[in-house]
Amino acid sequence: MRSHFRSLLCVFLFLFSLGSFPVQAQTRSIISNLANPAIGFNALFKAQVAPDLDQPYGIEFEEAEISLISTVDPYWTLAANLVFAPDGVDPEEVYATSSSIPGIGLKVGKIRGSFGKHGLLHTHAFPFIQAPVIMANTIGEEGFKDAGIEAAWLTPLPWFCELTLGGYHAVGPDTDHPLDFGSSNHDNIPYLGHLKNLFDVDDNTTLELGGSFLGGYGADGLHHSAYGADLTLRNVPLRQSNQQGWILQSELLARDSWNNDGSFASHDAIGWYASLQYRWSQVWWTGIRVEEAFNSFSDVMVSKDPATGLPNLDSNGNAIPVAGHVQCLSANIAWAASEFSMIRLEYSGARETPDDESGTVWDNRIMAQMNFTIGFHPPHAY
Amino acid sequence: MNPLIRTVAVCMWCLTAIPAFADLKVATSLSDLASVAEAVGGKHVSVVSLCRGYEDPHFVPAKPSLMKAIQDADVFVSVGLELDGGWLPLVLPGSRNPKIQAGAKGFVDASEGVNVLEKPTGTVSRAEGDVHPLGNPHYYLDPLNLKIVADHLAQVFSDLDPANASDYAAGAKNFDGKIDKSMVAWKKELKPYAGARIVTFHKNFNYFLERFDLKLFSTVEPKPGIPPNPRYLNETAESMQKAGVKVVLYQPYYDADAAKQLAQKAGGAAYEVPTEVNGVPEAKDVFAKFGFIVDTLSKALGGK
Repeated sequence: MRSHFRSLLCVFLFLFSLGSFPVQAQTRSIISNLANPAIGFNALFKAQVAPDLDQPYGIEFEEAEISLISTVDPYWTLAANLVFAPDGVDPEEVYATSSSIPGIGLKVGKIRGSFGKHGLLHTHAFPFIQAPVIMANTIGEEGFKDAGIEAAWLTPLPWFCELTLGGYHAVGPDTDHPLDFGSSNHDNIPYLGHLKNLFDVDDNTTLELGGSFLGGYGADGLHHSAYGADLTLRNVPLRQSNQQGWILQSELLARDSWNNDGSFASHDAIGWYASLQYRWSQVWWTGIRVEEAFNSFSDVMVSKDPATGLPNLDSNGNAIPVAGHVQCLSANIAWAASEFSMIRLEYSGARETPDDESGTVWDNRIMAQMNFTIGFHPPHAY
Repeated sequence: MNPLIRTVAVCMWCLTAIPAFADLKVATSLSDLASVAEAVGGKHVSVVSLCRGYEDPHFVPAKPSLMKAIQDADVFVSVGLELDGGWLPLVLPGSRNPKIQAGAKGFVDASEGVNVLEKPTGTVSRAEGDVHPLGNPHYYLDPLNLKIVADHLAQVFSDLDPANASDYAAGAKNFDGKIDKSMVAWKKELKPYAGARIVTFHKNFNYFLERFDLKLFSTVEPKPGIPPNPRYLNETAESMQKAGVKVVLYQPYYDADAAKQLAQKAGGAAYEVPTEVNGVPEAKDVFAKFGFIVDTLSKALGGK
């Protein structure tokens, strides 16, 4: 009985001592969230009517992107774009940047290589719902993404002239990009060079000229290269920068292969696009794009049995794609109710002629896309 | 040396070797801050503003030429409170200039020390439009806030260029005195209209209105950053008519038609006034800018 009493007294005193702590001591944390990174979230939904494609109609989830960015210390900033798509999660970009070296911007991590113009864009920033066909046939539909390091030198020339050099990790072709840089030899460090020049034509108009090169050795022992040239004329009236403007942009891209002895092996793909985006008002945009791609693959050109006209199938039962000549016209209209949402309607019509001479096919599509952003979103490049 | 190479080399040198006439090269995000920096720094500074006075400071195109313009700057003065947050995060790192990156000695947040209005107290929701989570960033519409900026800049300039510290202190003192003197005249001119209600396009005149005892009746845009629709304009015009509000202010970078349409429906008039220096040709510096606004309002409210 006495020991029971002593035990109860101990428990009481213990509970009392807990309760007698100041309330603040229980609620105050030694962990602060004040230095948390800025967080943004973007979601893309798409609906498509495409009679020439063997796909169901209806609205679909295209992708969602979480972006994080914060200063690491006085020398580095860390950013990440994590993409969630129906086929999985991709740490699309995870990189650190530094502006500590005069004249040089450093970027290291998993990055989007500074190649061309369209290849720098995130999917939600594409001017048209679909990327130009030549993108997926050269550096990748969403650009060249790989682990590596880039240094961008802002030259002391009187105009904006930036030279970027990059080195990356060996990477084989995959669904993201067709370039084979998969050689495991120690001398295979895929490399990039990019020159960007921008001139102010007047207060409202700029002219940008760029050239890009990307090269590396493939698992097949060949040296694979991609080339790009871009021209952009952009008008943003300073008095109406949020209401009016237009962008005329064109890009030529090519991919080829070379033998180890320096002799030419093959032209793998070449193509171009030219587009005009016009801003009518604060909320209305419209655009038109023409494009052409040679020796390129698309969604509708597949190998067919000449006798039956039916697609030839691989061992997994999938139609076997064939390369060909693609000509495509796209036009769209977009309503951006605010900076953080956009709905657009787009038509694209493609005439495609497979190189196996199985006959011309068409790819007509009417698409709608909804684009929403919450939280912090870093501004897009000019 | 090959004559061609020599000629090219000389041309390149002439193009790139821009002599530093001033002791400090100062760049600012807004033209008002440039005007204050010039007043404080005098002959010791060369100043450039990235945003022209007639540009919407929320939406300055982040042109690479802006990065180039601040490549060699010693000081960058940001307006702060995220007003330049839509473009500065591209332009500053793009300059590849470590001296002016956020956190460096040469980076100045001009809003430091300012009594910020309309700081959200609860959750910030974009259902209210493009609200500024740190409070209303248009503090440079209050002349007295520019005294705080001037004193701040004098301190920064002195730290970076101690040899001319006394001149910077004198520049700030002179600027503060001129503001105080001008305030007396501006207040006198607007005193007859104390309590008058006006409509502005955006909520960018709140500091000015508070300083000069005026009231904001409504805005042309229904919510910050959201363009007006006909229904909203009709409803606002109706309430203006009932309240007898006749003055609508808009800036060179806003949709003048919407402002004029609203004023016309309400039986009043719309006036273009600058929010920043060089917003209109007459607004050559901050004193001329405030003088222009005060004169315009005085005439508008006086029915002249």
